Amino acid sequence: MAVARWGDLRRHAGDPWLLVTFAGAAAALGIFVLYPAFRVLVYPTWQDYLAIPRSLRWMQAARNSLVMMVISTVTATFIGLAFAFATTRADMPGRRLFRTIAMLPLFAPPFMVAFAYILMFGRQGLVTKSLLGLSANIFGWHGLWLVQTIAFFPLAMLIIAGVLDAVNPSLEHAARNLGADEWTVVKTISLALARPGIAGAMLVVAISVLADFGNAVIIAGGFPLLATEAWFRMEGMGDLKGAALVVAMLLVPTAGLFLLERFWVSRRVYTVVTGRGSRIARPPTPAFLRWAAVAICTLASLLIFLVYFGVIAGAFTTVWGRDWSLTLDHWRLAADRISSLWVSVKIGALAGLITGTVGVLVAFLTSRSLPLRHVLDFLAVLPGALPGVFVGVGYVLAFNPTFIGGTMWTLAAALAFWHLPMGYQAASARFKQIERAIEEAAVNLGATGLRVLRDVYLPLLLPALVEAFAVSFIRAVTNVSIVVFLITPGQVVATFVILNMIQNNIWGAAGALTTMLLLLTFVAIGLTWLSVGRIVRSPGVG
Amino acid sequence: MRRLWIVVVVLALLAVILPGVGPASAQQNRIIVYSALPDLETSLVHREFTRRTGIQVEALSVAAAGTLQARIRAEKDRPRADIFVGGSRDFHIPLAREGLLLAYRSPVAAEAKVSPDYLDPAGFWHGWYLGALSIIINTDRWDREMAPRRVAKPATWDDLAKAEFRGQFVMPSPITTGGGYIFVAGQVFRLGEDRAWTFLKALSANAVQFTPTAPGTITLLERGEAIVGMMWAHEAIGARTLRGAPLEVIVPPDTGFEVGAVSIIKGGPNPAGARAYIDFLMTRVPQDINARYGFRYPVRGDVEVPRGATPFNQLKFVKYDLEWAIQNQVRLRERWTREIGR
Repeated sequence: MAVARWGDLRRHAGDPWLLVTFAGAAAALGIFVLYPAFRVLVYPTWQDYLAIPRSLRWMQAARNSLVMMVISTVTATFIGLAFAFATTRADMPGRRLFRTIAMLPLFAPPFMVAFAYILMFGRQGLVTKSLLGLSANIFGWHGLWLVQTIAFFPLAMLIIAGVLDAVNPSLEHAARNLGADEWTVVKTISLALARPGIAGAMLVVAISVLADFGNAVIIAGGFPLLATEAWFRMEGMGDLKGAALVVAMLLVPTAGLFLLERFWVSRRVYTVVTGRGSRIARPPTPAFLRWAAVAICTLASLLIFLVYFGVIAGAFTTVWGRDWSLTLDHWRLAADRISSLWVSVKIGALAGLITGTVGVLVAFLTSRSLPLRHVLDFLAVLPGALPGVFVGVGYVLAFNPTFIGGTMWTLAAALAFWHLPMGYQAASARFKQIERAIEEAAVNLGATGLRVLRDVYLPLLLPALVEAFAVSFIRAVTNVSIVVFLITPGQVVATFVILNMIQNNIWGAAGALTTMLLLLTFVAIGLTWLSVGRIVRSPGVG
Repeated sequence: MRRLWIVVVVLALLAVILPGVGPASAQQNRIIVYSALPDLETSLVHREFTRRTGIQVEALSVAAAGTLQARIRAEKDRPRADIFVGGSRDFHIPLAREGLLLAYRSPVAAEAKVSPDYLDPAGFWHGWYLGALSIIINTDRWDREMAPRRVAKPATWDDLAKAEFRGQFVMPSPITTGGGYIFVAGQVFRLGEDRAWTFLKALSANAVQFTPTAPGTITLLERGEAIVGMMWAHEAIGARTLRGAPLEVIVPPDTGFEVGAVSIIKGGPNPAGARAYIDFLMTRVPQDINARYGFRYPVRGDVEVPRGATPFNQLKFVKYDLEWAIQNQVRLRERWTREIGR
């Protein structure tokens, strides 16, 4: 093995630029991915770590985080499964509509579901107070449970639907022909083959729930959770060490789940060897299952509709819960803060450019037979295991004392490298689709490694680059978990302004500014669709 | 066709990004301010400051002084900001002791005869506004739920611990906010430590929540998520006057108060601009803006008291030992975590 690697190295020695690029990319990943994580972990001392079990509040936060992880993951996966099932079977009514609706929460800022549900189901809620006459308390674990279920089931749906789609209909027909009834087919073929997908979905949702900052900070109320506790440590107490300890505690389960997903579940996908893909229709779905799935999907779709409706209606209502007359006043107040939207665009675009370039570059390098390319691959997907608040605290500790500290570059870099796995994996997937022969032809004609990248791959990868840019951009302009730690004077982004408005009870303007932010993301999605002909998805940790 | 779109998008992006990137414009006449006051007051005060001095202000407003305190600590090797404004002096004093602030004695404060109680003798911080803790009532819910049962409105701190208010009380957490801590320390000064904890435990049995940020308490009261609460009076008066929130303010005897401070960060980029800023805050105009829009008491005698507020010298304060409160901060917060646990 070692011999082969040194052989590779010697072969590439004639191509110094490739090695230089490799070293550069490795250095960038080391500085912007590994170093901040390392700083967080070594900032507290051993005694600090050993004192964790004695802190009542932290143990409580840890317990609460784990409980939320379990209950939200179960419900989100269940609804995701229902949606996935409904949208992959031809005889389901309204399947296209359901799928479109279910994608909507993926593009919303991570606090939007919580914000909308306070408007809908809180003490002043349109549904609870005005329609039902109840005085309901939405703050706490139960509100968060509802919010996280709706916010994260689309992730589960995407993953499970991918697996269900791959189940060959001829297997189901074969089972039917062998005498199995509709129920048995669903149970022993469709769902059985989807098991790894369901497990994978649960792990991804669990990571998102654990790391969820935006919803928790708004709706969890006095219910301590690890993700928000880190921020309260800094906000209320100026306690950087406490913040570092809490995010380090949070890293243990997220990293564990991430490794589990990557090295266990994702390698256990059942591949059914049948030769060519099949286009025949699936056998009919049992009627009971069909209607149960439609009922669940309808209810969940309604809840998603309320998210968008609540925020937009809030932007036009004079005083929510007390005076329902329409007004444009909130838009004037929001227009005052429109400069923050431009700062968001600027930082999002910077982050997108970095994610796109670094993602494509690293994907190119890991597709070469270079030594240590697995290390590079690992570093490029590692940020997927890090909660946003962890990255935020890490960048504060790592870069505040340097020359980029306190500038918009720190924030842009944090957002860019946190979203790197998405750009990198999109680019990697494209690389695998490109016929190696094209490259070999170029090499035979005398092209060097970087020339191959420029003249062969770059034109073919342009769509991947655009897509990586778009995903990173959309997630950067809607991010709060990193933003709250790295915001700088003169570069205040829109999500930060909105979060402050929600916390200070300025709902109307918060709704108006959120609506503007939504328009911005949908314009970005539209432009990307026009450029690459695909709707970008933005799955990942919240 | 697709290529064309890509080119269009890339060009549009460059047009957006390029003007903003590049080295920050080397503007000499500019200061950077970390403000723990809300956006509205901050921007109004800064507009006036720029108009009078010609110095531009880049501000970061976070309505949580602890966050800004943490930033200043984190940036101590390379301070970014010149000024830390707002938040009780409790947040400035520890920074001064850690050597992160620059001493300055504003001649304007002396000229205006600001009481020495509100100024640091060593000059590390200048008090420029005052606030008092108070009982706050959501009148909508009170009239619907409490008045028919002939419950008396709470007039003292002890009233808040009555069983009628079970699950209806809210206040900011003493672990994460200055206001919450000043309240808890105030109870120790009022009752002595043992009785104070008995009272606090009874109070916590009533609490629906201890909000992690100070504005969170007003938010919950304003939305009617709780009926009674403990919070800065000016926050409630502001919500009532500016947004029509159904809130009533009762300042009980033995209340606590804050001295809202401003200080210069040592090693900041523009110390001369920072001194001009302190001088400006000690003048009438900014204190008037803060009283008008933030409903906080001015420290100058010649500025009008905020609308709807009882004059500061008519309030009855608990004997607050600042030094003891700062010395025992960690211990009291730990005891709170241990005994109340929320």
